[in-house]
Amino acid sequence: MTKAVIQLNNISFRYSEQDRDVLDIADLQVYQGEHLFIQGASGCGKTTLLNIITGINQPYAGEVQVLDKPLQNLSTIQSDQFRVDHLGIIFQQFNLLPYLSLLENVQLPCWFSSRRRTQAVNVEQSSVDLLKQLDIPEALFNKPANTLSMGQQQRVAVARALIGKPDIIIADEPTSSLDTDNRKRFLDLLFAQADKQSSTLVFVSHDKYIAQYFSRVIDVSDINRASNHTAMAS
Amino acid sequence: MKLLKIALKSAWNRKASISLTMFSIAISILLLLGVDTIRKQAKDNFINTISQTDLIVGARTSPINLLLYSIFHIGNATNNISYPSYQKVTSLKQVKWSVPISLGDSHRGFRVMGTNSDYFHYYRYADTQSLQLQQGEVFKDVYDAVVGYDVAQALNYQIGHNIVLSHGIVATKAGEHADKPFRIVGILKKTNTPVDRTVLVSLQGIEAIHVDWQSGTRSALRISAKKARQMGLQSKSITAFMLGVENKITLFDLQRKINNFSDESLLAIMPGVTLATLWQTMGKFEKVLMAVSALVLLAGLIGLLTALLTTLNERRREMAVLRAVGAHAYHVIVLFVLEAILVVMGGVSLGIAILYAMQVIMQPIIAENYGVFLSIKMLDSEQLVILLAALLLAVIFSLIPGLIAYKRSLQDGLMVKI
Repeated sequence: MTKAVIQLNNISFRYSEQDRDVLDIADLQVYQGEHLFIQGASGCGKTTLLNIITGINQPYAGEVQVLDKPLQNLSTIQSDQFRVDHLGIIFQQFNLLPYLSLLENVQLPCWFSSRRRTQAVNVEQSSVDLLKQLDIPEALFNKPANTLSMGQQQRVAVARALIGKPDIIIADEPTSSLDTDNRKRFLDLLFAQADKQSSTLVFVSHDKYIAQYFSRVIDVSDINRASNHTAMAS
Repeated sequence: MKLLKIALKSAWNRKASISLTMFSIAISILLLLGVDTIRKQAKDNFINTISQTDLIVGARTSPINLLLYSIFHIGNATNNISYPSYQKVTSLKQVKWSVPISLGDSHRGFRVMGTNSDYFHYYRYADTQSLQLQQGEVFKDVYDAVVGYDVAQALNYQIGHNIVLSHGIVATKAGEHADKPFRIVGILKKTNTPVDRTVLVSLQGIEAIHVDWQSGTRSALRISAKKARQMGLQSKSITAFMLGVENKITLFDLQRKINNFSDESLLAIMPGVTLATLWQTMGKFEKVLMAVSALVLLAGLIGLLTALLTTLNERRREMAVLRAVGAHAYHVIVLFVLEAILVVMGGVSLGIAILYAMQVIMQPIIAENYGVFLSIKMLDSEQLVILLAALLLAVIFSLIPGLIAYKRSLQDGLMVKI
């Protein structure tokens, strides 16, 4: 049986100024090496769920374990360090620092994590290889990031999430700014690279169309008891 | 190190606004250091201009006025003193040495000073320095002249050149003593005192050019240069004289005696005391100037704070990206502090560069117009403290936007949706 890399157990979360839970999940397991698609309409708690998995927010009840590590025991600084050591993160858009070159953008996690640096073996070479594998023209490698098209920027963001072989790749609607052709190509490249270094992929999107490419699909509203309450109340 | 690289590149990305902030800090640093340098240099100059002279004696006027016209060649004497009075005072037993000074003529904008060869022997500046000849020798003949370093430089004079002196401080054609030209026999080494800008001649020379003058205009009765020389002229009056005493204990007694001199109204001043009084008066202006400069620097630093605060929103995404790639929230504060240090260091370096460039350019101009000789020096410890304080203040200021960004990036997490 494959091992769970992320385990959520009876977690409840609310923002401090709110009087109602935004997230209440009985049980969620993400298994080693799988491609998990988390879908849900906006406002159903997708981003909050990611914040909890990445240790940005802590539930007031329940347990979150990532790679067998209970996140609630970590200080802010420890959880920052844990995140960069084990997670690669891709945003919806504007992932890159415009004033750094592509290579520097890709290498950023290795600047902050010695674990990622060690696992990349040769940071320089590894960033070049990743960019090549993600179909970025070599002529652009030393160009500033803001000269790229949106599709290219998202692929550079993938390279950055992958460098240093993090255990889990977290992607927050990375395809929403891409057109249909680019979307498929982006997913193919992301899957290929994630599998190559056996990273688990947690992919969040409201785009049901791409759900078909994933091995497992979860709808947040199905597992979030808090959002059911809200739905019933309204 | 990587954080510094990020700070540098991020700042470079916003170079237009950052360089403006840097420039405004440079200007305020320039102002503060400039005012400080000028006041210190001016003080050094004044203090160094005369030393080892116990008393300066002139016609009764204010002590500061006497000091200014006799030594600094600023302004004019209200009155002369008679030569017999000079002889009478200097024959007192307390007096060890004396040097007469006769002013009132000029040569192409430079003051002419009549004196005797004792001047070269007794005049001291910058504690113990005495006048040294760069070329030639001290004047011997009535029509010999020794010129200061700057005079020779500015007018390209060599030994043997003939020069014509003019009556009064402002040269006019009608006021020229063209009939009695002087020959340059010596050029002095640089002293960084008003002596550099002076033409020195003998008292007899001064007397000779004025022998056929009365009440400031030339009389109809012309006396040739040759004839004037043969007349064996004696000065009738001088402007002031310097003296040294045998024994310092007698100094106050001698000063009182001269101030109570019965033949005519005289004033004796101790140059050190008068210099101190002068600087006490100036000290108030100095303090006001320094305070104004400090406020300008503060304004520059507040400008920096404003600039940092206005970038907070545009940098929100940048901070989220950095957090996502592993930067801690405190790294965000460090980035703001680094940027502030960068801007202030840039501003300080630029300010210092402009300060030195201006000193090099202004040095001859200030010397010419104000008789103050700026010597270009390293920054002193007091100025370094000012710069460090500016840097420290900038760091403290940058903590404000730093902490705001820190709080925000903790709230925002990684998923900023802008």
